[in-house]
Amino acid sequence: MNLNFSGAVLSQAVASGIMLGGLFALMSIGLTLIWGVMKIINFAQGEFLMVALYLAYFLVARGHIDPYITIIITVPFMFFFGIGIFRATISPILKDPVMNQIMLTLGVSLILQNLALMLFSANVQSVNTRYSTWNIHLGSVVISGTQLIALVGSVLCTLGVWYFLKTTDSGRAIRASAQNPTAATLMGIDVPRTYLLAFGLGSATLGLAGSLMIPFYYTSPTVGVFLGLIMFIVVVLGGMGNLLGCFVGGLVIGLAETVGAAVFPGSLARVFTFSIFIIFLLFRPQGVLSKRQT
Amino acid sequence: MTAMLEVRGLTRRFGGLVAVNDLTFEVNEGEMIGLIGPNGSGKTTTFSMLSGALRPSSGTIAFNGERIEGLKANKVCRKGLARTFQVVQPFPDITATENVMIGAFVNTGGGRQAEAKAREELERVGLTPKADTLAKELTLLQLKRLEIAKALATEPKLLLLDEVAAGLTSTEVDVMLKLVRQLNTEGITCIIVEHVMRFVMNLSHRCIVIDFGSQIAEGTPEEVLNNPAVHAAYLGEEASIA
Amino acid sequence: MNLKMPYIRIVVIGALICLLPLVLSTFYMHIAVLVLIWAFLACAWNIIGGYAGQHSLGNGLYMGIGAYTVAYLVNRFNLTPWVGLVVAIILSAAAAAFIGWIVFRYALKGAYFALVTIALTEAAVYVVSNIPALGGAGGMQMEYRGNSLAYMQFAGQNGYFYMGVVLVVFILLLTQWYKRKRFFYQLIAVRENEDAAEALGVDTVKAKIKANVMSGVLCAVGGVFYAQYFLYVGPRSVFGEVVSVQILIYAIVGGLGTTWGPVVGAVLLVPLSEITRGQLGNSFPGSQLLLYGLVMVLTMMFMPFGIMGLADRLRQRWQHRSATPLVDSQGGEAS
Ligand SMILES: Nc1ncnc2c1ncn2[C@@H]1O[C@H](COP(=O)(O)OP(=O)(O)OP(=O)(O)O)[C@@H](O)[C@H]1O
Ligand SMILES: [Mg+2]
Repeated sequence: MNLNFSGAVLSQAVASGIMLGGLFALMSIGLTLIWGVMKIINFAQGEFLMVALYLAYFLVARGHIDPYITIIITVPFMFFFGIGIFRATISPILKDPVMNQIMLTLGVSLILQNLALMLFSANVQSVNTRYSTWNIHLGSVVISGTQLIALVGSVLCTLGVWYFLKTTDSGRAIRASAQNPTAATLMGIDVPRTYLLAFGLGSATLGLAGSLMIPFYYTSPTVGVFLGLIMFIVVVLGGMGNLLGCFVGGLVIGLAETVGAAVFPGSLARVFTFSIFIIFLLFRPQGVLSKRQT
Repeated sequence: MTAMLEVRGLTRRFGGLVAVNDLTFEVNEGEMIGLIGPNGSGKTTTFSMLSGALRPSSGTIAFNGERIEGLKANKVCRKGLARTFQVVQPFPDITATENVMIGAFVNTGGGRQAEAKAREELERVGLTPKADTLAKELTLLQLKRLEIAKALATEPKLLLLDEVAAGLTSTEVDVMLKLVRQLNTEGITCIIVEHVMRFVMNLSHRCIVIDFGSQIAEGTPEEVLNNPAVHAAYLGEEASIA
Repeated sequence: MNLKMPYIRIVVIGALICLLPLVLSTFYMHIAVLVLIWAFLACAWNIIGGYAGQHSLGNGLYMGIGAYTVAYLVNRFNLTPWVGLVVAIILSAAAAAFIGWIVFRYALKGAYFALVTIALTEAAVYVVSNIPALGGAGGMQMEYRGNSLAYMQFAGQNGYFYMGVVLVVFILLLTQWYKRKRFFYQLIAVRENEDAAEALGVDTVKAKIKANVMSGVLCAVGGVFYAQYFLYVGPRSVFGEVVSVQILIYAIVGGLGTTWGPVVGAVLLVPLSEITRGQLGNSFPGSQLLLYGLVMVLTMMFMPFGIMGLADRLRQRWQHRSATPLVDSQGGEAS
């Protein structure tokens, strides 16, 4: 193993890790809401992001729209896309055992992945925008401007979802339905509608993620396999349904990936990331931030 | 001779709540003990600790002279201490016979012997007509009997019965009463948790009363019923004590 | 019912299947071998996923251990695959025991268990891809040494076909035999209600670890067979999430926790997907997995117990009705 370990390499790895972490946090907010709060399991969440990335890609590459303007299309599109999938497949089996939901959404992910493969081929697609060459130099460390925007977007999106859950009626309805559906129904909350809304929102945040990622990331039919797993890892690390935790979890995994890549050869860094996840699940299943219960 | 079950200073906390507080009591072989107390007084929590489902916060449990606190539930069961669940816990997607077979496998590895044992226990609790019905299709009364049959199949020396008469009609209570008495004459020691007073008072040789997790009285059913502290604890629940 | 009947049925059907090479062309014999490989793997997964109810999404890990062990030992040390098979069994048993011990001791269940198993099988992909001795990302080719049982290699498909039939008949008999034994009853108890199982003397952790080892070892055997048939192993062809999902899909569609379910699932789906791939594969890559995705969604929505599960339920209902013509007066939901 070649341990090329210098101060400059490490500080660059940390800076990149923070940027990547912001990205991971951004794409995991939706799953925090869907799985963490509502306890709906969606193993196709990574493929939802793949759909958003393709949409953003085509809007930018073919429609010549500024990537940051595509948000006004990707976000509502993903909202309705999520709602459509939820209505058609997940919602009818919501009361079935957890494993049925896992299998069903795995099926959905296979469908989306292979539809993308048929329609768009296996090629990795990325797009050059006028922001692509925008780099910020901090001493020896280089940060990409588009990644910085994604990080800022991640912070804003986290705050936005948090504010929504805490202060608005719909947000309170979501939390109430998640905690106790029966009581929520008695309080006059339309629980099925609330689930739909939460799922739609969780999917809409992926629209934002897609638009903010496309200037510096890529898309391919299988891009969601790895990103989807990362989302689950981030949500577990953050502590189910904990938005701040999701942000911290994103940073931890972002750093694990880049620092791991600086230390381990080849793609072995991935193994490092998965190890962190498994160790967390075993020893701190409540996440990085929350206190241990009982 | 030492007692079959010796409980010393048994305590369980849930966060700030002390569900069971410093319980100390003994149960002798062949006895029928009533463990009573108002709702939420810690009876089920006590059972869960005795059966190994829940770790005590402190205190000791000795069964036939052997310390069992902290042992896992399956080990406790294999030592001869079985329990039924207040909220019935069937294996829903298999038949009543197969449900009971799981318990019978404690003492035999063979499927045929286990099935014979299971049918025997179903007969004992009067579930033979439902032997081949899926557990999820049974009524509450049937499920309560199934709970007992499952526990009996493990051939326990000490059986913990958690509200087996609750929710039953008066005639059904009589049937259950006869069944439990029968078990006792066959040599099984029982601790009975029950709100249906007629049931406990008829069966128990001795009653232990707890309130807010602490023991407040102990004695024969008559002594306990005439104890003012017991009345105070049940205040507002007079209806059920009568 | 006669207790010997299920065994007789398995052997008779197995014997009849052996006549297939008389009527099938090479292309269909290839499909038949694939059916047997996947049926065997799905039966192996069924032990942990169907009977014990622990839905591992990472059994590709054990299949991969089997396939890579045999490929490496044959290529590097010139050993016979039979030695590779023994080593594969030992390694996969050790891995399954260790993973099971960790995961079940800490009571990981449901989605968490599924995620850990995915993470492990995906981690294996990255590990293997980075080991040059194992062929790295490109995998390993194995040499064809001639038609011989000692090399576990055959000219044409028939030899593999008979070997596959033996394996599938073996795993069906094994499952059927265990179904009347304490072990499988305990697994079912774990699946149905863990607290109740513990209270009835079932060491649930031990039962799950045993199921994981049994399932893992059998998946490794399937992996050995796979490697010998294709004479190639690659990180994503035997490890990884997609293979792991493929292993369980047949069991789910055919019927979880039933003896024949995984076989029925493989018999229906493998030819369908191979023919789809044959017809559409070039113009529409991915059509095979798209089909699997659709089948999985539809199964979960309309037939969550799978084909054999549904058949069992219908039969039970029918027997029930013919035994007690009147609606049970005590029937009604237990609240
Ligand atoms: N797992 C738990 N976590 C937190 N609190 C618990 C838990 N289990 C029980 N409690 C609390 O402990 C107290 C005792 O509960 P327990 O179920 O033992 O009472 P009980 O005497 O069986 O009541 P009942 O007659 O209603 O069955 C209650 O206040 C209950 O809310
Ligand atoms: Mg109770």
